[in-house]
Amino acid sequence: MTGPDVLGPPGPRPFAAPTNGVHARGIRRSFGPVHAVQGIDLDAPPGHVTALVGPNGAGKTTVLLVLATLLKPDAGEVRVGGFDPVTQAGEVRARMGWSPDVFGLYDNLTCREYLEVMAAAYSVPKRARPDRAAALLHLARLPEKADAPVHSLSRGQKQRLGLVRSLVHDPSVLLLDEPASGLDPRSRVELRDLLRRLAGEGRAVVVSSHILSDLEEVADRVVFVDAGRTVGQHAIGELPAARSIRKYRLRALDGPALRDALERAGVGWVEAGHAGLDVEVLGGEPSAARLLAELVAAGVAVTAFAPLGGALEATYLDLVEGQR
Amino acid sequence: MSLAGVLTVARLEFRLRIRAGRWRWMLGAWFLLLLGITALVRAAASQNNIGSGNVGTRGAVMFGVVVLVVLALALLVSPALAAQSVNGDRERGTLATLQVTRLRAGEIAVGKLLASWGTALVFLAVTLPLALWCFVEGGLSVLRIAGVYLVTALLLGIVCALSLALSALLARSTTSGVLAYLTVFALTVGTVIAWGLLTAVTQQRVTATAQQCEDYVGGTQTTEPTGVNCTEVPYETTVPRTDRTWWLLAPNPFVVLADSAPAGPVRRVTLPDGRVVEEPLDVDVLGAMSRGLHQIRVKPTPVTTPYGTNLEVPSGVTGSAVWPTGLAIDLLLAAGAMWVTTRRLRTPTDRLARGQRIA
Repeated sequence: MTGPDVLGPPGPRPFAAPTNGVHARGIRRSFGPVHAVQGIDLDAPPGHVTALVGPNGAGKTTVLLVLATLLKPDAGEVRVGGFDPVTQAGEVRARMGWSPDVFGLYDNLTCREYLEVMAAAYSVPKRARPDRAAALLHLARLPEKADAPVHSLSRGQKQRLGLVRSLVHDPSVLLLDEPASGLDPRSRVELRDLLRRLAGEGRAVVVSSHILSDLEEVADRVVFVDAGRTVGQHAIGELPAARSIRKYRLRALDGPALRDALERAGVGWVEAGHAGLDVEVLGGEPSAARLLAELVAAGVAVTAFAPLGGALEATYLDLVEGQR
Repeated sequence: MSLAGVLTVARLEFRLRIRAGRWRWMLGAWFLLLLGITALVRAAASQNNIGSGNVGTRGAVMFGVVVLVVLALALLVSPALAAQSVNGDRERGTLATLQVTRLRAGEIAVGKLLASWGTALVFLAVTLPLALWCFVEGGLSVLRIAGVYLVTALLLGIVCALSLALSALLARSTTSGVLAYLTVFALTVGTVIAWGLLTAVTQQRVTATAQQCEDYVGGTQTTEPTGVNCTEVPYETTVPRTDRTWWLLAPNPFVVLADSAPAGPVRRVTLPDGRVVEEPLDVDVLGAMSRGLHQIRVKPTPVTTPYGTNLEVPSGVTGSAVWPTGLAIDLLLAAGAMWVTTRRLRTPTDRLARGQRIA
């Protein structure tokens, strides 16, 4: 495990020297009587996709607004790209791209015009703007829509345009609020690939969502928030629930052979219709691996052997329920 | 604040405005309406009992009425151009995406002002052919036309700045729209009402005297100054002190416009003793307003007549111009409005208006 992955006594503070990525300790923010955020810690190192996960109203959007230099926190230490978003907002803005959960696009501009205007707003030199817009349109897979007005785009296309808008100044930190909401399955896969690519280029990517299945495949790290607090920071491969998962879904080319083999191994199952069989495995991942080896050794043509629900979901539910 | 940033915002806003509305139709209707009014004013100015004696200066008479109508209508258009600029963007979620860029709050504020002011100036520019018509009719100097248009342009910018500040202060664009119109109402009608009321309640109590005489020795009492057994009878009265309240009228856009108009039309009059003097035209609205405004600045002094002594504005004395004060007040208001707008656009923000969303 690297960095302060599990909440506990705070380790050495990451604020001594300018660092890349995002580091936040103890963000608090109230709106009148509503305590939207009351102690959120978050670390998003460069080259990683960090997921900010929590139920609606947990404070995800508020935290992203603080990181995006839009909202002053009541308390807390924050560094984005090595700078303080409150006192050094200009430095942060030069290095940070933010995409809100609403599109925030100008309907009456064409896609190309829109990206060129945003490039101008980020002080991209005039000569470089057309190339920049063309490259981003290509990245968003909208080159054929370059001269179409924004209002003619589909929801998914708008989402992609909003996403590449935040890349117009080639930021090292990317803050995306619910980027997957309203996307069809194909667009989600593409978004996942895009986020992986952006992180692979060395950017720190922070993604908020409550759609866990999307995040599990793209995120390197997860920050769980609930009721305005961070309740856990984990690397995705080291989620606590990954070791305690018990339910797996199995499918084989020959159904009866699978049932026979399971019976011989002394494992009970529940029929899950055409989806296969659900089995309970005690002893975590090692036991599951052993069972799979046994089945394969017995000559069963196993086509699916997957944890049911996912470690992210299990950990999330554990944490959220543990809070209540 | 950089010019490039201001222009980026202004160009963006201007482009959005042009594409959003049916400007060609609106400007066409605007021009036709004012063309009709100008034609009517010309017809009226040619009537025997109005201005036929001033045929050489008919253009100046027309111009006076037309610019007041243009100002009145432009004051109705301008708030609509700016009063939803900031909170409308907030509602659409487009403001925050600008605020996270390298643009500074002041650049966004000034850019938005330039876009709405520029649109108002397009409306003003469309009326220039009408000014040309008035010029051709005679009696007008180019300086007078230029001065009047310059001041009108400034006044429209001031109204745009005030409306913009309201849109930055209030969360809902409908509320700021209504308040922007109330602000224009306060500047135009409100100042006149306030001036009238304040003048009424701040009248000065003075003791004046009236001559009381007899129409002949032992005859009945009369106020005619007969010089027979006259006595001075003191009485209490009140005198309006408009010289103390004129500043309330000063920020009124119509006052500023009328009073600032350079050199009005004159006509040559031959006096009974043969001297030829130039006197201003009574039928020129701007000039008449201006002369009235100068008059209210004069301090009343005790004036003794054969009938008695009273505190009056001495005849033949004119006060100084009202418009420098008025325009200064208006420009200060606009500067304050821009300061407020910039403050409200500054991020990270620490407080939010009720119901305001950031993104």
